[in-house]
Amino acid sequence: MWEQIRSNQIRSMVLVVGMAAVLLVLGYFLGLVFFGSGTGGLIIALVLWLVMNLVAYFQGDSILLGISKARKITRDDHPRLFNVVEEMKIASGLEKMPDIYIIDDPALNAFAAGRDPSRASIAITSGLLQKLNRDELQGVIAHEISHIKNRDVLLMSFCSVLLGSIVILAWYATHMLFFSAMYGGRRSSGRGGGGGGEAIVLLIGILLMILAPIIAQLIYFAISRRREYLADASGALYTRYPEGLASALEKIAASTTELKTANQATAPMYIINPFRQKGRPAADLTSTHPPISERIRILRSMAGGASLADYNAAYARVHQGGGAILPSPALAAGAAPLRAPTPESAPLEPEPGKVERTREVSDLMWRMNNYRTVNCACGTKLKVPPNFKKSEVRCPHCGRIHPV
Amino acid sequence: MIALYVVIGVLVVLLILVVLNFNSLVRLRNQTQNAWSQIDVQLKRRHDLIPNLVETAKGYMAHERETLEAVTNARNLAQGAIGKGIDAQAKAEGELGGALSRLLAVAENYPDLKANQNFLALQEELTSTENKIAFSRQFYNDSILRYNNKIQMFPSSVIAAMTGFKAGEFFEIEVGTEREAPKVSFA
Amino acid sequence: MKCPACSEMMIVVEHENIELDYCTSCSGVWFDAGELELLLEGMLLEGSSLSLDSILTSPEARSAEKKRRCPICGTKMKKATVGRDPEVLIDACPRGDGLWFDSGEVGQLIAQLPDRAPEGANSQGRVITFLGEVFQARG
Repeated sequence: MWEQIRSNQIRSMVLVVGMAAVLLVLGYFLGLVFFGSGTGGLIIALVLWLVMNLVAYFQGDSILLGISKARKITRDDHPRLFNVVEEMKIASGLEKMPDIYIIDDPALNAFAAGRDPSRASIAITSGLLQKLNRDELQGVIAHEISHIKNRDVLLMSFCSVLLGSIVILAWYATHMLFFSAMYGGRRSSGRGGGGGGEAIVLLIGILLMILAPIIAQLIYFAISRRREYLADASGALYTRYPEGLASALEKIAASTTELKTANQATAPMYIINPFRQKGRPAADLTSTHPPISERIRILRSMAGGASLADYNAAYARVHQGGGAILPSPALAAGAAPLRAPTPESAPLEPEPGKVERTREVSDLMWRMNNYRTVNCACGTKLKVPPNFKKSEVRCPHCGRIHPV
Repeated sequence: MIALYVVIGVLVVLLILVVLNFNSLVRLRNQTQNAWSQIDVQLKRRHDLIPNLVETAKGYMAHERETLEAVTNARNLAQGAIGKGIDAQAKAEGELGGALSRLLAVAENYPDLKANQNFLALQEELTSTENKIAFSRQFYNDSILRYNNKIQMFPSSVIAAMTGFKAGEFFEIEVGTEREAPKVSFA
Repeated sequence: MKCPACSEMMIVVEHENIELDYCTSCSGVWFDAGELELLLEGMLLEGSSLSLDSILTSPEARSAEKKRRCPICGTKMKKATVGRDPEVLIDACPRGDGLWFDSGEVGQLIAQLPDRAPEGANSQGRVITFLGEVFQARG
């Protein structure tokens, strides 16, 4: 496990260094174009990057949880979810129990946040919690726990900050160039020097302004896709039951509801890309996640076992052109036999049906939003919002009047 | 002079290797110990849940005295087996698991019991505890595998032999006919 | 959630494990997509003419009735008709968030009840029966 994380870390580091180089080259040339000093531009780029990194490191998870309107829950709010997270925490050998958050959204998605394994959170939408049975929930949580365990969260927030810096720099540079061309006149001509050389620098600067964000984004997406495969593989290893995650992904893929609170920078944190568009092949270079159908097929063709080597073999079978997705040192880690699926009639499995699950989760959401429940004698339940203005409600079923 | 530097250099490299290997042996051994204590926590949790479960079930299934007693006895035996070695403990826990699943299977015939909120909550806790036992065992065995590999492979094997690291024991709970038994009792 | 017709706060009514949002001022009813799905599944009516998918693919009904906005996503809802004699005009969120029945519309649907053949003959009929059960006391 350690070897594999380390080796993946090295591959990812190479890509990160690539992104950093893009940022520095961009800064340098923009400096040359605007102040006639490459070093000045370099310093501005570095300072911007540093500040954003500090913010992301110390506040990243609260910002992410904040913008997705996630709310922390306790064990009593949803014992089953808590138990499943605890089970996966044990299976992965994670030292500290992550905090659990719920996002009140019918879309099906989940993400992990937190800069290191001892300060991590998992957020899941209420829609997903309703739709998944226990095995599927376990698969999704295992996937998220692997993101935490593999330190993907830190890596990806680091990368998204890098990407953000590049985008911001390029954006401001474009605008400055535009305005100086409009009003500034010939400011740069006063600096003297060879006109030809300056033109070339200007040209490179403009090219970089256009290309840098695109290149950085492609690198970012490549890193993200790689981490998704690894998280799927580790998820299968932790649960010893790839079918759970596969069937969860299938349900998620079938849903058409879009998550309301996601944005491009946070996309890689989710279990599936929240910006899927129907009809568009999601397999291209510009997606943060591997195509969901391929992820499902890989998990389903893990016939022999649940180890990372089995995942790799399945990947080679399913992926066009074959090849391996996980680094080789990890693969010697020993066999991991598959677990049998939980039989339908298993006495040990108090599995609530879909309707019960939905009621369980929506009641939780009403409680968290301070709704008051009035039980009418006719068996109907009335749930009254906290800012309801009237002093009484009439049961639409039997006509009884209840004070609020 | 140069020869001296070479010798010192080689010694330093060797020392670093020894320290690194020793540290990773210690880390792996600690991990197996942590994993073991996690199993212990979960087994204890199961032992704690059972009296509650039996108490709740008693009121509804007076005719199943034998099944209930079997669970209580198996629990006491399992508790007695703590500290008597991995094998003895694994065997007792296996028996307890079998007795428990028989009880829960019989509970299927008592709709009133199955509607009891307290029983449902206990059942969820018990299911999850069973899973946690399985997962902590899985993690423990994985840790033992890594640790034993490290002990047996060169060069760490040399250091392990010198500093007295011993291979760990796997924890296998018997999952034989015991677990399948409940299906018969529906007749 | 605010009523798309009169902007009052709505209450949630749970009946037979299905939740509806109900406006106490205008008696309008909001059927959330997930709840509608549960209801149709529970009645073994997946893909019936009342499912969101089929309503959203049906042609827009012409009507002078004021366009309402979806209480969840705020987009303008599409007009569609369900039932027969008379056809009842309801609103559907084009993004698939749910269906809106004005108060009169629930009444009209319930009024169709006696004309309906017994249980199971018609998919819409069974859902209307459900609505009829919930709004027994006041149409």
